[in-house]
Formats: sequence, C-alpha cells, structure tokens
Amino acid sequence: MNKNKERIAVTLMLLATVVTIVGVFGIESFRRKQFYTVELIARSPLNGNWTSRGKDGIWHPRKIYAPYGKEVKLYIRNIETVSHGFALPDFNRTDLCDIAKQVVEEKKHSVYSRNRFFYRHHSCFLGCI
Amino acid sequence: MSKDKLFGLVDLDWRFELTKFKLIRALFKSRWFPLLAIIFNLFIFVIILIAGLIGGFSAGNYNFGIMIVWILWWVMLMFVLVPIFSRAWCLMCPFPVFGDWMQRGALFNVNPGKLKGLNLKWPKALKNMWVMNILFLVTTFFSGFFTVRPLATFILLGGIILLAFIIGLIFEKRTFCLYVCPVSGFQGLYSQFAMAEVRRKDPEICKNHNVKTCFMGNECGYGCPWMLAPFHFTKNTYCGMCLECFKSCPHDNMGFNLRPPGVDLLVDEKRGLDEAWKAFIMLGIAMVFFLTMQGPWGVLKDMVRGTSLKGYLTFISLHSAFSLLIVPAIFFFFSWLSKLFSGAKEVSLRKIFTNFSYTLVPLGLGVWIAFSIGIILPNGSYILHIISDPFSWGWNLFGTKSFPWTPVFTGILGYLQGLVLVIFYLFSLAYGSRLARQTYPDEAQAKRGWIPMLVFLTLAALAFLWLYIG
Repeated sequence: MNKNKERIAVTLMLLATVVTIVGVFGIESFRRKQFYTVELIARSPLNGNWTSRGKDGIWHPRKIYAPYGKEVKLYIRNIETVSHGFALPDFNRTDLCDIAKQVVEEKKHSVYSRNRFFYRHHSCFLGCI
Repeated sequence: MSKDKLFGLVDLDWRFELTKFKLIRALFKSRWFPLLAIIFNLFIFVIILIAGLIGGFSAGNYNFGIMIVWILWWVMLMFVLVPIFSRAWCLMCPFPVFGDWMQRGALFNVNPGKLKGLNLKWPKALKNMWVMNILFLVTTFFSGFFTVRPLATFILLGGIILLAFIIGLIFEKRTFCLYVCPVSGFQGLYSQFAMAEVRRKDPEICKNHNVKTCFMGNECGYGCPWMLAPFHFTKNTYCGMCLECFKSCPHDNMGFNLRPPGVDLLVDEKRGLDEAWKAFIMLGIAMVFFLTMQGPWGVLKDMVRGTSLKGYLTFISLHSAFSLLIVPAIFFFFSWLSKLFSGAKEVSLRKIFTNFSYTLVPLGLGVWIAFSIGIILPNGSYILHIISDPFSWGWNLFGTKSFPWTPVFTGILGYLQGLVLVIFYLFSLAYGSRLARQTYPDEAQAKRGWIPMLVFLTLAALAFLWLYIG
C-alpha cells in the first residue's frame, strides 16, 4: 500500500472534477464582473425571432439598459440548430449571417444618455462570425 | 509462420511485440497507467458536461460538448483507436472510474480481498451483446438531438456515467463495460479488425503457472476486471485493455502486439447471433445516418429532428426495422443461397449465417470511417473555435476563438469516402473467402458457397458507393 501515491491519485481526481467545476464558474463570474453584460436570445429567421415583447418583437429582452459610458457586453444566444443564420435587423444589419453562432460577443459603448439604449436606434455594427 | 498471407503480402501469423521495449513495458506495468489517462479524460468529460448543461438548447456547432464528443471523439474512435489500437478507448474511458473506485476502495493501490458493493453476477441469459445492441440502437433514435442540442448530449453522457456507477454498485467488476455500455459493443465487434492485440506470450509459462494471477489478482494488480482469462485470450472482442494482467503477471508473460488487420475474424470462438446482429445493426445505422445526416434529403432530416411526432415515430420504426430485420433478412437470404450453391447439406444454415456475418466487420468499419470523414472534413474547424471558447462565453484560451468555419476537401469528400469503402470492401472479400473455407468442409463447396456472399458484399458496397458519389 502506497498511501502517498493514493493521496496523489485522489487529489488528481478532485482536481479533474470538483476543482474544474468550481474553477470554470469562478473564472466566468470574475470575468463578468468586469463588464455590464446582457444576454439576448436569438432564433432562426425561418422561425422568427423571439416575440414575447414589443409590437414586432424581435429579440428577447426587447430593451436593454446599460450604465452610461460603460462598456457593455452582449451575449447573443442562438437557441436554434446548427445549419442556419439569423437576422439582426434592429442593428441595421438586415442581411443574414452566413453561419449561426451560439454566442456573439461584442463590446460596445452605450452612447445614449439616461443610461439606456434601444436596438432600433443603435447604429453600431454587430457582426456574426 | 503460416503460409496464409493477407492479399499475398502479409503473413497472418506475423506479430510485433511493442512491450518488448522496456519503456513501454514499464508504462504498461505502472499503476499510474492508464489511471492518469482516465483522470485526464475525466477532466475533459467534466468540461463536456458543463458545456452541455450550459449550452442547453443552444446551437451545437459552437458547443464544446457536441464538438468534442460527436466530431473529435467519434472520429478518433473510428479512424485511429478501434481500427489500429483495438479497444484503446476502453483503456482510458472515464465512465466506469467511479464504480471502480467504489468497488476497490482505492484509485491507485491494489486492495486485496473481496471487492465492495453487492458484487452480484450478471444474469446468464444476458451475458452476450444483446443488451448493448438494443441500447446502441435506442441511442441512435435520438441522434437528431445529440448532435445539435448540448443538453441532449449532457443527458446521454451523464446518464451513462450514472448507470455505470449504479451497475458497479450492484454487479461485479466491469459488468457495465462488458454487457451494457452502448459504446463497448461496436468497439468489441470492430476491434476484431484492429491492428493490435493483448495476448499471452508463451503458453507454456501460463500452463505451468498454477495461481493464474491474471485472473485472480495479486498485490500488483487486480484479477481481470472484464472477468476474462488473459492466459487464454484468442480475440480482442471482450478485452477492455485495462492492462491489469500486465501488472499482475509475475512472469511478464503478457504482450501487446501489432498484427495484420482482421486476424480475429478467423478465430472460430464465441461466434454467435448477438455479434452477427451487432454487425447488421452497425451497417444499418451507418446507412440511416448517412441518409439523414449527410444526404440531401431534408424530409429525412426533419423526421430525425422530430419536427413532427408522426415523422419522428416513422423514423424510429423504419430505422429499427431496417437494422434489426431488413438487413439481417437480406443477409439470411444470401446465406440460404450460399448453402444452396455449396450443396453442403450437413452444414447448418445458422452456422453459414453466423460465420459469414463476420465479413461485415471490415465493410462496416469502412463505412463508419467513411461516415466519419464526412463529419470531420466539413466540421473539424469548429474544434479550433471551441477549444478556445469551450462554454461560448467569449473566452479565448488559445487565441483561436475567431477561427472561422473552414470546411476542408469537401469537394472530394465523396471520392475519399468511396476510396475508404473500396479498401475495406477488399478486406471483407479477403476474409470472406477464408471464412467460406472455415464454414464448408471442402474447397469446392467453399468456392460455390462463397459466391452469393460475394454478391451480397458487392451489392452492399455498391449501395454505399452510390450514396457517396452517385
């Protein structure tokens, strides 16, 4: 019986499992604290984008609010399948992206006063990769 | 050395022992191996499970879980691990590690005495491949979800790990791996084609070694967790390559050999209908997968993805009927023709049917490798993205987050698939003619009986060839 080697093996198991899980969420939590982040849900044009809010509701949530002058990180989560693109009409980009991407991350500055901006008036480019 | 040469080139008895090199033998005898490989893969699977859970219903092409499991792992399994190294995945598979840990009460050390847990024996009626056959087939019912929905992959893998642990609590040793694991069955079947094997070196040493530590275990290693007799290995099918026999053999009489591909197909031992059906199921699934995943028929894709309940149930019904009944029925007809042509009334139809089913092993493996080419070439570039951003949170660990989708050689994809198919078809023919000589008592009967099977294999190969480049 080699107790030291057994301890090392158990430690490696813990590193591979518990520490990995805690580490992943810990790192992301720390990372997100550095930005103001908002998650948007996107769907394929075929099925229409999220329609839970707004007259012609496209995205969910319909409005996002961000602190004035602060960097904003948008997470766009595509809940559809692999083989499609999705439209970003409210970002003045009406063409379809070539390839869907689960998350598109962009850093933007909120440029409007009163700490909020709307997609409809937001003129900066948001690209699909 | 025998005079029987594969394609007239390689002696079927040729072996090259890799463990004669001290470094490799030391590695195989170390208790850190394959434990470290298992722990590393466990780390990867933890990330896969997290990505699957976080990914939820999101698209799968930028999901670490889906890309690593269904693109990288599957392709590695079919390209390298099974055809070259036999059941090398079982060697490093993390699924049963928690069950092993619980049973043994140790990860590294060898604990003498009875294993923990209930240690019940698996029912005798189920000591075959049938459970694995059915589980694998049922798993493919959800193929339209696993490959695009991260949560589905999470549920599948999490379920397998949980099931492995529960079965480890109830049944002895690696019962899960041997009789239940859906991945294990086809690896076992196709490992007969592998270019590597674990075998005893000198039969006399084993004969004179009364204790049989490879089976019983000793202070250096556990008795074969797969409940086999390593001193009498004749084929790869059920050897999980855990390497315990290397550790427990006091005479260093176990060897890891390179060999010509497919020699196990000629070993007339434990051949049965369960393995035959495994070959049919794998061939049937390969065709259904190609039609639904790589073919141009959108209506089939919609059925598999379950866009309508009626379509989905139709898919399940046709898919099951094709793999479980239609392919075997066609094969049975050609087996009957074989018996008829041979004129050998004393040879049972069951024997003809079972023996010739092993000709489907090379062809089936070739078809799966071809299918895997169709996965990796168009989709492989996603892997560069997801290793940098495994959870789609915008991480960029290796600077490849923005690597664009870059299909490779897709213009010649069909021809590559066709080439692989033809190569493995030739292996099927090479072993088929030998199986005919094993099945029928005389040469003339074997030649006549081989003709219908040759026609079947040729028609099956042409059908796939048409799908690839037709």
